[in-house]
Formats: sequence, structure tokens, C-alpha cells
Amino acid sequence: MDQDEILENESVEKILSPHPLSFMGLQSLCIFLIVWGLLVAWLVNFSDFRSYFINPILIIVVWAFGLLLVGVIASLLTVLWRIFFIYCAIVGSGIGIVFWLGYLNDSGVFLPVFTVVISIIGFLLVECFRRSHKYVISNQRIIFKGGVVVKEERTLRYDKISDINSKQGVLGQIFGFGTIIPISQSGFGLGADTSFAAGGVQAGKKRLKILGIFGGGREVQTPRTRSYYELHGIFPYKEVKKIVENLVQGSVITTYQQEQVKFQEEQVDLQKEMRDLLKKQGTLNRSLNNKEEDIES
Amino acid sequence: MSASPLDIIVFAPLAPIFGMLLFWFIQLLFIESQKYMLSGISKEHEPFIRFTNFIGIFFQTVCHALGYTVTKHGISEFYIGVHYGKVAPKKNKTGLFEWLSNGFLFLGPFFIPSFLLLICLIFLLNNGFIFYPLESYTFSENMIVFGNNIFHFSYSFFSFLATIDFMHPGHFGFFIMFILLGLGIRPSYIGEKTVKKVDIFYDLKNIRYKLLHKPLYIVFFLLSAYIFSYLSVLFNLNWYVGLFSLFGWLSIIAITALFFAHIFIFLIKVTDLIPGTFRYISLMLFPVSYVILRILFFLVPIPYITTISLLLSIIITSGLIILFLHSLTNTFKFSEPMKSHKKSK
Repeated sequence: MDQDEILENESVEKILSPHPLSFMGLQSLCIFLIVWGLLVAWLVNFSDFRSYFINPILIIVVWAFGLLLVGVIASLLTVLWRIFFIYCAIVGSGIGIVFWLGYLNDSGVFLPVFTVVISIIGFLLVECFRRSHKYVISNQRIIFKGGVVVKEERTLRYDKISDINSKQGVLGQIFGFGTIIPISQSGFGLGADTSFAAGGVQAGKKRLKILGIFGGGREVQTPRTRSYYELHGIFPYKEVKKIVENLVQGSVITTYQQEQVKFQEEQVDLQKEMRDLLKKQGTLNRSLNNKEEDIES
Repeated sequence: MSASPLDIIVFAPLAPIFGMLLFWFIQLLFIESQKYMLSGISKEHEPFIRFTNFIGIFFQTVCHALGYTVTKHGISEFYIGVHYGKVAPKKNKTGLFEWLSNGFLFLGPFFIPSFLLLICLIFLLNNGFIFYPLESYTFSENMIVFGNNIFHFSYSFFSFLATIDFMHPGHFGFFIMFILLGLGIRPSYIGEKTVKKVDIFYDLKNIRYKLLHKPLYIVFFLLSAYIFSYLSVLFNLNWYVGLFSLFGWLSIIAITALFFAHIFIFLIKVTDLIPGTFRYISLMLFPVSYVILRILFFLVPIPYITTISLLLSIIITSGLIILFLHSLTNTFKFSEPMKSHKKSK
């Protein structure tokens, strides 16, 4: 953090980055690509089933089907269709290169190599994304920075934090990292899980006669935000959590402190009144003294 | 050869029970040894220890939940973490149901991981699962058949391990699972503070308590075993010995997995002595040398490729690690142990 970014009386407690394993969701997509590439290579070139893969089109179909199937499953489980579209792009580009460069007869070698290369690129991109995150915890605020191309930044003062959500997965518990989501009073840091169910009814044997669609939806507020707006996968989790909670607690005015402040304000008012009275008394005394001196003279 | 009725009625059912208990106790010894080895590296490798704890706790908690579900206790609370697992029943039942659920908790972590491996082995072993028929139902015959079942399975299993092909996805996946489960076949916790709920001594104390204070359960177990044995005799089947042989197989898988886990932990312990990047090189030696050898033998084919590649990789890894230890550390440089030098000072 640059010195010119530091406010008056501000001291930096910690500068953090996400743990290398904290983006395992994205990394596992790359791991799957490596595993699938190696599996296809074995299946097509070395396994007992290799005689079935004399036709190169079958190799392409099996390779693409496996990728798209996992893409659909992963998208449904995470409710992120982005994953499916990425896998579609990989399949499309793989098939495109095979036909464009005339690698059809060598697709048993090319497609696994292509898949592994894509996964390595994926790993590098995830690592770049991870390294773009920077979290600064100072005595006054938390600064979240992130974004590879577009720089995002969020500053949150401790007195504006209304709630702290923290979570630690199995990997986090093993390696000691976790995510802390500070939820602001405006609700920043909250997301919504929406589910929808619909059903159709068809009556009649041959032709559609009656059609009814019934639907319902429900929404649940849940702590969720982008990784550069939360303390994502920070290490050491317990220590950072304690620091943040202490700083938040330190900026909260308790009932006793409020009573004390009110009492002190009353005291100050009283002292002011007394000071004014004393001033008045002083001026009165002085005017009296002057009058006495005049009479004496 | 005629069998005496006393042998058939009283002694014969005990033979497979003794056999199974023998293997189970060997498994317990391996578990204790593994715990000792893991506690030795716990300070330097905390995440690794937490990982092994998690596997052990996972199986124990799942077994506990399974026990409560089977005995219709119901589950009101379920939690699995790295440090402890918790399963709370909805209803508190006593007697046989309580014992059954406790049985799942005590024995499950020893047998469930190896049962998963056994399921995998069904697809990988060619002919390891043979139950030999019984000629008579005597103590000696039961013991011989139990031994034969165990021997045949062990022979197939060890042959598979000796010819394992890491280039085969099925073999490779099995081996990874074999090592991971081998690290977690224990109902215990290793860490900074022991949690009594998952400590092996807690379990053993419970077992001892059950044996001493609730002998009815033991009587029930023996009675069930004897009834099952008599039914097998009545229908002229080898089911009784077969059932205990199955537990014997599970113990053999567990013992072997624990043995391989020992080797893995030993490798970590030894490489800790090597400084710098050579430590990581030592850990990578085995997979790298194996892949290079397999590529070499793919180009220059020879018989027994998998076994020779495996053996050569082990030799190369061991040799180079010894070389690293000799050249980079003080290990092997003293003819007498260091302890004697310290004492003389």
C-alpha cells in the first residue's frame, strides 16, 4: 500500500492475499481438464478399447461429450453457466483446430495435448486472478483491491460493518485459510439464492388439450460477494478473524459508553453555565468596586 | 475322517473367529505404529496431520451416523471437521440397539475404508475372491479353509500390487485411494490437543467396559455366530467361514494400506532431513523415474514392464535419497550414533 493512500492517524495492521488453494473451485476445473486429457489419451492409444477408436470422429465425439457433460453438471451444481460456456469454447476451439489444421487422423494425440495445454493456461489465469487480490487491514478500515484488467476497490470503515460472516471449507481447515465477509449496513456483502419450480400438465392422449403451468419461487438472503469485495481465502484465518472482530468491536459504542458520553456532555454544559455565571459575577464585582472607588474619590 | 460332535458343536465355530481376531489385532498394532510415526512429524507437517485426521474422523463419523440410522435412533446433529466429528441421536435407545450402534462406531473405522478398497478390487483383481468348500465342519477344517481363503486372496492382491501399472487410470486411482485411506484407517486424532471422543483409547476403554460390564453382548455375539455356524452345517454351505474370511480380507487390505502409508510417512520424514530444493526433488524422484522408465520401455519393449519399472523406480528413489542424505547432511558420516557422542560430552 502506498504511503499517500494512508489516512491521518492510520496504521496498517496486515496486508493479505488469498491462499494459493483458496480458488480450488476454479482450479478443479483445470484439474479435470488434465485428468480428462490423460484419460482420453490412455483410452484411445493404450487401453484395451483402443480398437474401437479407429474412426477419429468417435475420438472427437467421446472427448467433446465428456467435457460438455462435466460442464453441464458443474454449471448446475454451482449455478454458474459460465463454466459450461468455457467448456463449450474449449470443445469448439479444439474441433476447429483439428479440422482447420488437418489433424483429424492425429486427433487421438492432438486433443489430449490440447486439453492439457488449455488446463495449464487455465491454471496460470487463475493464479493471475488470485495474485490480483490485495486486502489491507488498518486500524480504521479494510481496503479490498482486485481485478486483473479492471481494477476494483472497496473501502469499508469498521463502524459501518453490521455483521461478519466467516466460512472455512475442508481445505481451509486443513491448510488454515478461510473467507471473511464483512456485511455493511447498506447490505453490501449479501447475495440471494433464488430457486424456481415449474411444472406442466398435459391432458388428452393424441393432441394437446389442456396445458397448465404452475410455478413458484423463493429467495434467501445469503452472505455472498465477489472475491475482491471480501477477505477471500486469507491465511492465517483465525488470527485475521480475531483482528477484524476486535477492530469492529473497538469502533462500536456500547450502551454504557453512550451513557458516559451523555453524562460528560451534561457536565460540560454545567461547567459552561458555571463559567458564564462566574464571568457575570466578576463583571458585577468589578463594576461595584469601580462605583465604590468613585464614591470614595 | 469322522468328526466328533463336540468338535462340530463347540470348537468348530470358534476357528474363523480366532482367525479374524488375529488379523484385527495385527491391524491394531499397525494403527498404533502409524500414530506414533505421524505424531513424530506432526510439528513440521500440520496440514498433513490435519488431512489424515480428517479422513479418520470422516469415516468414524459416517460409521457412527450409519449405526444410528440402522438402529433407528435417528440423527439430530451431524458435523464433520478436521478436529472432531459429532453425531447426536434423536432418541436414546438402550440394550441391543445401543450396542449395535456402538459396534458400528468401534468397528466401522477399521473395516469401512478397506471395504471401499475391496469394492474397487472386485474390478481390478482377476480371481482373488474364492471361497473354498468345506469337506467337514471341524475346528481344523474351518481353520484350514479360512487360511486358504485368506491365502488365495492375499496371493492375488499382492500379485496385483507387484504388477501395478501407474499408467492405467484404474490402477493409479486405486493406488491413490489406497494410500489416502491407509493414512486414515484409525479412529483417533493426532494434534495439539487430543479430543477424547475420537481417541483410540477412548474406544478401547469402551470396548473393555462393554466386555467387563455387559457380558450379555458377548454372549449374544457368540450365540449369533454359533447359530449361523449350525445353519451353515445344516444347509451344507461354507457361508460361516466365508463371512469371517471376508473380514480377514478387509484386515489384510487395511494392514497393507497401513504398511504403504508407513512407507509414505517414512519418505516424508527422511526427506525432511534433506535441505533446500533437493527435498522436493527427492519427493518427485519416484513418479518422474517411473514415467521416464515407462516411456523408455515403451520404445524398447521388454517382458514384465510394469514390475521392472516399479522395482527400478524404487531402487533409483532409494539410492538417490541415500546419496542426498550422505552428501548434503551429516547422516551416515559417523560410524557411531550421535547419541553416544552427546553422552560422552
